[in-house]
Amino acid sequence: MHLEYFQMIDRILDLNTVEKKITVEAHVPAQSTIFEGHFPGYPIMPGVLLIESMAQTSGWLLVALMNFQRMPFLAAVKEAKMRGFVSPGETLTIDAGLVHEGSGYAITEAKIRVGGKLRSNSTLTFSHVPFPNPDLRGHMDAVAKRIGFPQQALQT
Amino acid sequence: MSSTFDQVATIIAETCDIPRDTITPDSHAIDDLGIDSLDFLDIAFAIDKAFGIKLPLEKWTQEVNDGKATTEQYFVLKNLCARIDELVAAKGASA
Repeated sequence: MHLEYFQMIDRILDLNTVEKKITVEAHVPAQSTIFEGHFPGYPIMPGVLLIESMAQTSGWLLVALMNFQRMPFLAAVKEAKMRGFVSPGETLTIDAGLVHEGSGYAITEAKIRVGGKLRSNSTLTFSHVPFPNPDLRGHMDAVAKRIGFPQQALQT
Repeated sequence: MSSTFDQVATIIAETCDIPRDTITPDSHAIDDLGIDSLDFLDIAFAIDKAFGIKLPLEKWTQEVNDGKATTEQYFVLKNLCARIDELVAAKGASA
């Protein structure tokens, strides 16, 4: 993770476009300016960043299911629960699965676990559109390479 | 159609917290009921699930944006329900 740049995902562990599920890994940095304010003397991951982590995990699943032709944007957080603190240095395993694929939108459910224990979960709604410009597409290509997006998951 | 309308009106009432008795077949989801695009996603999801269909929201939006259709054709509830009935029938025919 590189929190200041909203790089929440370190690598994709598994991406199954048949079952429409994804699992990723994210290592919470030991130090970050985020923790200087949240909170002094008691650093924990802000809940909004846990939601963002689940959104990005879901987003990569949707990117794969849409064959890297469209960009999902978070539209609604239907329910999010912060079930336990996430501390600097911990490694998150984040799972997401598709709940519904609508026309121009999709709904996912995501879970964050640390050492097998559930720390957070949410139901997320995304709207998705064709990539709005080449810059964003290029950025997503670069991130895909960094996190090990399996190109073979795409339909040729 | 009446059964479809009842279901859709109930979905809208529950999803958007709109009094059920203010929702009529002639209500325009956007202009009369004040439903915005994000709330309509929730309604679309509930309709998709309830009727086992996929409302073609993108196609409808594109047609409206291109001037090929009016919002009344898709978002006045009696028209929306007619579209739902067509989609359900088409699904049954292809099953």
